[in-house]
Amino acid sequence: MSTIDPRITDVLSRTFKVPVAEIHPEATMDGLDMDSLAAAEFAVVLRETTGVELATGTLTRGTTLAELTAHLHAAAGTAR
Amino acid sequence: MERDARTTTVVTGLGLVTPVGDDEHAFWAGLCAGRSAARRCEELAGLPADFACRADATDLDEAVGGRSSWRMARFVKMALVAARRAVADAGLRPESWDGGRVGVVLGVGVGGVAVLVDNVRRLDASGPQAVSPLLAPMMMPNAAAGEIAVDLGAYGPSLAPATACASGATALATAHDLLAAGRCDIVVAGGAESVLTPLVVAAFAQLGALSTRTGDPAGASRPFAPDRDGFVLGEGAAVLVLERAGHAAARGARARAVLAGSGSATDAHHPTAPDPAGRGARRAAEAALESAGWDGHQVDHVNAHGTATPLNDAMEAALIAGLFPHRPSVTAPKGVLGHTLAAGGAIEAAATVLTLEHGLVPPVANLDAPPAEWDIDCVTKQPRRQEVRRAVSHSFGFGGHNVVLAFERARHADR
Repeated sequence: MSTIDPRITDVLSRTFKVPVAEIHPEATMDGLDMDSLAAAEFAVVLRETTGVELATGTLTRGTTLAELTAHLHAAAGTAR
Repeated sequence: MERDARTTTVVTGLGLVTPVGDDEHAFWAGLCAGRSAARRCEELAGLPADFACRADATDLDEAVGGRSSWRMARFVKMALVAARRAVADAGLRPESWDGGRVGVVLGVGVGGVAVLVDNVRRLDASGPQAVSPLLAPMMMPNAAAGEIAVDLGAYGPSLAPATACASGATALATAHDLLAAGRCDIVVAGGAESVLTPLVVAAFAQLGALSTRTGDPAGASRPFAPDRDGFVLGEGAAVLVLERAGHAAARGARARAVLAGSGSATDAHHPTAPDPAGRGARRAAEAALESAGWDGHQVDHVNAHGTATPLNDAMEAALIAGLFPHRPSVTAPKGVLGHTLAAGGAIEAAATVLTLEHGLVPPVANLDAPPAEWDIDCVTKQPRRQEVRRAVSHSFGFGGHNVVLAFERARHADR
């Protein structure tokens, strides 16, 4: 079963006030009411938090949190 | 004077975020107590002025609520909180109003400078990828008007006048014009500013505009005192709901005051120093009186700009003495609140409305005795009971902008 990197959960809930109950692996940016501006800011905050560069286009309206977690882990070479 | 309900503008709601508290009663009690809100600020340590008047009574993120506070600079949150309070005070329900007839005019002088500073640091430290895509929409001065319109569903004209320290008053004067011209039924109008950062404090200090009484923050803002040495920086917001009198009456809303007139004029003299002869300020005051249909001798009270800078107060005191030789009472809220820049004109408009309602004039903080230098009647030490029927509020800004608002007691309040 896929999981979510806890740093993603933390940023979404603390900075973007996404209710924790809505944060699940299959949730998309769209599904979380993260519009394009919010998604762009999310990418910058994640980079700052994790040190992982998110290339343009990595984070789209349809990106799920499971996919984002996989991307973070792959980029950091710590895929689990 | 009889006024036409179609063109008369009334104040139906007030909303505040100030250094002496955010609900109207705390604000009024704080003003009437006449004690400065200035105090030392940790983040300003080591600067020529290490104190300011912070407005921190409300947890702004909690008050804004919802999911969007992350995209708002502090001045925007303050403006939004004040706007919601004003609308609630007016008894208006945005979910059922005709939003196309509602305007928003929110004056901001500087904007989100803390966001800018933070992103300059990110750019220097980590490169362009670290810069927030929100920088521009967060720092722009019109962000406050925009977010208020989003929040309230106000689809009429929206503006963000930037006339520095007169911005809040310019916003109210502009709202008055929009209502008188019939372009709106309701305008949510005021000012907001939050720039208490080391950069801005250093800049104003370099300009020689700030008081440097570092050992005595509470005694630093001394409007009209002979030993005044500059202003104390503050932050805050105030929003007034202005409405066409006929519109307010039709929905059964009570007018808190009448915005009887407004006048604006420009010094065209110098970027920061007022015209020493006060010609622009005088023209603005005369225009406000003419707009209200008043003679100068009918003015009972003056809410002065009174920044506590040597130049402003000398110019303004001479103006008041010359224009109003019958010696109306004078107060200067910046003694208590510090100089909240763009918010000042709106906060002081709210204070003027409260003076009309309560029949009470707050004292000028740190002014122990009426100034001997000019023949003006400053209220000192304690609030003064006075039946005020007509009052003016002065606002003057860097750039030479002068705005005077003329408020009259609401008719039902006549005693």
